[in-house]
Amino acid sequence: MPSLSYLLARLLQIIPTFLLVMIFIFLLVRLLPGDPAIAMAEAKATDAQLEQIRHNLGLDQPLPIQFLVFVKNTLTGDLGRSIMLKAPVTEIILDRLPTTIFLALYSVLLAICLAGPLAFLAAARVNSAVDVTIRSVFQVGLSMPVFYIGLVLLTVLAAQMRWFPVGGYGTSFLDNLHHLMLPALSVALYTSAIILRNLRASLIEVLDADYVQFARAKGLSRRIVMTRHVLRNALVSTVTLLGLSIGNLMSGTLVTETVFAVPGVGRLMLEAIFARDYPLIQGLTLTFAVLVSVVFLLTDIVQSWLDPRLRQS
Amino acid sequence: MKRLLPILLGAALGLAAATSALAMERGGAMTFARYDDSTVIDPVYADRNPDLWMVTGLYETLLRNGPDGSIVPGLAEGYDVAADGLSIKLKLRDGLKFSDGSALTGADVVFSLDRARNPELGPWAGLLGAVDKVSADGNQVTLTLKNPDPTIVSILATFNTGIMPKAAFEKAAGANDQEKARAFFEAGPVTSGPFTMKSRMQGSSMTFERNPNYWRPGADGKPLPYLDQVDFVIIPDDATRILKLQAGEVDAAEFIPSARVGELGADPALKMELFPSTRIVYAPINTRETRKDGAKNPLADVKVRQALNYATDKSMLIKLVTFDTGKPMTSLMSAATQLHYGPEPLYPYNPEKAKQLLDEAGLGGGFEVTFTTLAGSADDATLFTALQQMWSPLGVNLKVEQVDNPTRGEKNRSGDFDIHTYGWANDVNDPAQVTGWLGYYKQRQAVGTGWNNAEFNTLFEASNVEVDPAKRKDEYKKMQEIYAEGAPLLFLFETPFAVAVSKSIEGYVQTPLGANDFSEAWRAK
Repeated sequence: MPSLSYLLARLLQIIPTFLLVMIFIFLLVRLLPGDPAIAMAEAKATDAQLEQIRHNLGLDQPLPIQFLVFVKNTLTGDLGRSIMLKAPVTEIILDRLPTTIFLALYSVLLAICLAGPLAFLAAARVNSAVDVTIRSVFQVGLSMPVFYIGLVLLTVLAAQMRWFPVGGYGTSFLDNLHHLMLPALSVALYTSAIILRNLRASLIEVLDADYVQFARAKGLSRRIVMTRHVLRNALVSTVTLLGLSIGNLMSGTLVTETVFAVPGVGRLMLEAIFARDYPLIQGLTLTFAVLVSVVFLLTDIVQSWLDPRLRQS
Repeated sequence: MKRLLPILLGAALGLAAATSALAMERGGAMTFARYDDSTVIDPVYADRNPDLWMVTGLYETLLRNGPDGSIVPGLAEGYDVAADGLSIKLKLRDGLKFSDGSALTGADVVFSLDRARNPELGPWAGLLGAVDKVSADGNQVTLTLKNPDPTIVSILATFNTGIMPKAAFEKAAGANDQEKARAFFEAGPVTSGPFTMKSRMQGSSMTFERNPNYWRPGADGKPLPYLDQVDFVIIPDDATRILKLQAGEVDAAEFIPSARVGELGADPALKMELFPSTRIVYAPINTRETRKDGAKNPLADVKVRQALNYATDKSMLIKLVTFDTGKPMTSLMSAATQLHYGPEPLYPYNPEKAKQLLDEAGLGGGFEVTFTTLAGSADDATLFTALQQMWSPLGVNLKVEQVDNPTRGEKNRSGDFDIHTYGWANDVNDPAQVTGWLGYYKQRQAVGTGWNNAEFNTLFEASNVEVDPAKRKDEYKKMQEIYAEGAPLLFLFETPFAVAVSKSIEGYVQTPLGANDFSEAWRAK
């Protein structure tokens, strides 16, 4: 396992990341044309009413003061009140976040279950009919946008075959496995295509490496050679890729959650941007930053466990 | 014809109601797929359509909008406006109750109306700006006005004056009115309308349950509503919402895109409802002498604006964008609005006349105009492509700019546009709201166009304190004529509310103001 000092160093690196994220997001949302007052009172308010709304929201304060208030509140754990939903941002995010995490983990698990065994199958007989078939099928998955795969799955498996509900969210764990199968699958098809390509290539490379030949020549059993030498080495780059794709997944949920009507933070982010809901956008961005940082940290830990050389640096 | 049409429509509706009433059945539930979730369904704070179109399902108003657009009694048996127009008396029905069984009294009315007209609270307080005092003596409610206001009667039938229970609301947790409103709503509020809220999962679903104490009788003489329950699911994506309906998982889906109306109408299991609406699609034209960047603005010349209107083939646009579900605009307001005046479609397609007007304006050689549209909107994309083709023979070079909704709003507010797409639906059953928004300079610079017509403005101010209905009607006729002539808009079309409903559901209505009315919906067994 990685040492404590390594973990501490990695944790410390997260702090400047957060500061940068806070500054960027604070400025970026305010650079967008239009503001919450306009988005909120879209058609019906007079200019005087807009000024009143801006005043009530504190948007008539100078930017540096707004920023200081934002930083101070954030450090004390107060992310403000959502303008659009009229409720505390922390409360809203905590309500919606589990859904998105559930969906993300579900699709990663599906992707691993799909890509893992097939990569082995393909790598075992390079350029055989099996290999070519697997690769070409997944190539299709890679070249289609996720929302399109989603609509195809919905039309065929839900609306026609009636195997799954058309979008929405369940009420219990098992119910959710059923409801979220299609959104998870449409994301997983894309992720697994990337993992499959990478894992297959590393497997082929490692299978051909001197130390594997040597292990075989030493007379080690096939199982020990595969788990101790081949898999462990081939996984290093795949784990990096998996970590990165979970980061991507967070932005992918914006689309998936809308198409499948899943009430998670991705769809919320989209709505918040259209409403110019500054506090909610800021809160969600920070949440995404925390999630992605945690995933990357976990990726690093797993990697340094797989590859001891990484622990020295 | 204008007078006759509503009567014929009313007769047809009445007949339809009478036939369905014979077979009407009670009980059961229906599931309704919505495009967006409600936030806080509160008469005072509702500021987005998904909120305000649900308010009257939970809170009854003193007066109601009848099916033909007239004002009919609600919680009040009737109303009486004093001859000087300075007070309105209403008598509450006997034995009214809230959903929890407590009595609905004059005190609740005073509380609700005082809350509705408090400018520190919601965005609609201005609608009751003329009210000086609300008082109640037993069942008798009196509104004292600062000045006569012919719109007040309509406002008493508008969602923002829905009657809430004083005692229950004040008991809700929270330091101020907004926090109380949210806590009151989240806990499943005590209501006065046809339904109560049974449960809710934010962003996902909501359930309305029959209010056993609702006052209004149905066709069988027993109190409405017929349904025991209405379940709502939130499906923002159009394609998914329609799939959900086709798979039989829901009984109705709202906001069907025009392109799908034909297909769903042909589905034997569905009825494609196109409810008449007050929704208009139009394009404000910047009428200021100079553009935002200081350059001379060709659109400041009324002849140029009229020319562009003549050069626009509305029936073609209605075919291309609304798949023939729309109607051309005949006035600044929809034909379903009270006091509408518009004997025929405005600016029928006439490219020769357009050419002639441009020559008279000295712009026969052509010019460039930027058209600002919504990014990602299929309707807007069709619209600007068609306009580019219709206008290019005149030498008008149409440049397109695509932005998101708040950006478009900002451009409108700051006058940084030539022409842009926009839409509107009335919230109030009175023409003053749409007329003030589109034409009255002092309110919003005539929907941001900068159009400032002294005669129009004077007429609008006079009509807002006019107690004589005939005179007010005449003022509205004049205003609509002046506005059509001044052409501060590209007049496009009116569109209906398209809702696809399962054949097993009868009686669901989306009103011309957009409200979702489930009070007389029922399920055939």
